[in-house]
Amino acid sequence: MNDKYIFRYIIILVAIVSILLSAAAMWLQPYQKRNELNEQRINILKAAGISGVTDKNAEQMFQQHCTATHDGELPYYIIDGQITVIPMNGNGLWGPIWGYIGIAADGESVVGAVFDHKSETPGLGAEITSDNYQNQFKGKELLKNGDDVSVEVDAIAGATRTSKGVEEMIERTLKMYLPYLKHE
Amino acid sequence: MSKNWNLITAPLRKANPVTVLILGICSALAVTAKLKPAIVMALSVTVVTALSNLVISLLRKGIPSKIRIIVQLIIVATLVILVDQFLKAFMYDVSKQLSVFVGLIITNCIVMGRLEAFAMSHKPWESFLDGIGNGLGYGSILVIVAFIRELLGSGTLLGYHVIPQGLYDFGYVNNGLMILPPIALIIIGIIIWLQKPEEEK
Repeated sequence: MNDKYIFRYIIILVAIVSILLSAAAMWLQPYQKRNELNEQRINILKAAGISGVTDKNAEQMFQQHCTATHDGELPYYIIDGQITVIPMNGNGLWGPIWGYIGIAADGESVVGAVFDHKSETPGLGAEITSDNYQNQFKGKELLKNGDDVSVEVDAIAGATRTSKGVEEMIERTLKMYLPYLKHE
Repeated sequence: MSKNWNLITAPLRKANPVTVLILGICSALAVTAKLKPAIVMALSVTVVTALSNLVISLLRKGIPSKIRIIVQLIIVATLVILVDQFLKAFMYDVSKQLSVFVGLIITNCIVMGRLEAFAMSHKPWESFLDGIGNGLGYGSILVIVAFIRELLGSGTLLGYHVIPQGLYDFGYVNNGLMILPPIALIIIGIIIWLQKPEEEK
């Protein structure tokens, strides 16, 4: 087994492998894109208080309910012409967290909130994705005190940093949107 | 029949990769807080060990021995990426729960260990069965640990509540320790302890 053989062997092997992986990526990408998009739609609708949306009817339900979307620096979605759903990004304990919060037409009270995370501890920080935690936000009047955003919900025991991260994320994001929400 | 059958059954008990060879502990701690990710992880590892054993065994006569580890790594990495992409496309929710741990199958000592110890010197069919056996041996421990941790830590199994509400009213609480990784080490230790005398017979 001389060096020539080794070189030839590894080059052919790598070529075969890369062709195989590219083919698989091209084949699977549409499915993956669709999953991500549907997840986003489900979360937006859930933040607007529309539950029971599944992967199957996500596209149809979204088109039915979402009346306007606004891209750009401060993106938002209008659901059923009243509820403003705002995407949020923040930091948990181990990695990024994100979510959507739905604000009612009065510009004050919360219709619903959804959170997700990349790598929070299962059973502790990861509980921000549970309904028990998310339902706490329903009906909270976060923007009642003029320009001040105050989040008052029960934190998750054993996951202080993640809970703080969620609060910080909501406060920071909503402050940016205050002029828009108050104007409405 | 009996020899091939032995290739599958041996790793389940007396040559179990986790409890006897003490391999793959890291991921056994990480993905066993809930039962569902543990099952998917077990199946993913089984697929990877079986197929990588098969491919390496088919190539074993042509692999230059100087670069055999690199070749093994390429094959394993390819299979892991395929499994990861496949999960993302067709089992999106589970792939999100497993997150980085699917990618980390590459570093699972069981996979490389079986390639070096078995597939390099055995025929394809035997290697394939050995891969299945070791994947299942690893998976069985994962499922046992995840079963205990999810039941006692969250009061659920596969996401369904199984501990009756009455027990909670009576003062029962879920054990938060069960959710944290260290308890998996303790449970695995207990399994080893229970298994040891039997093995020494």
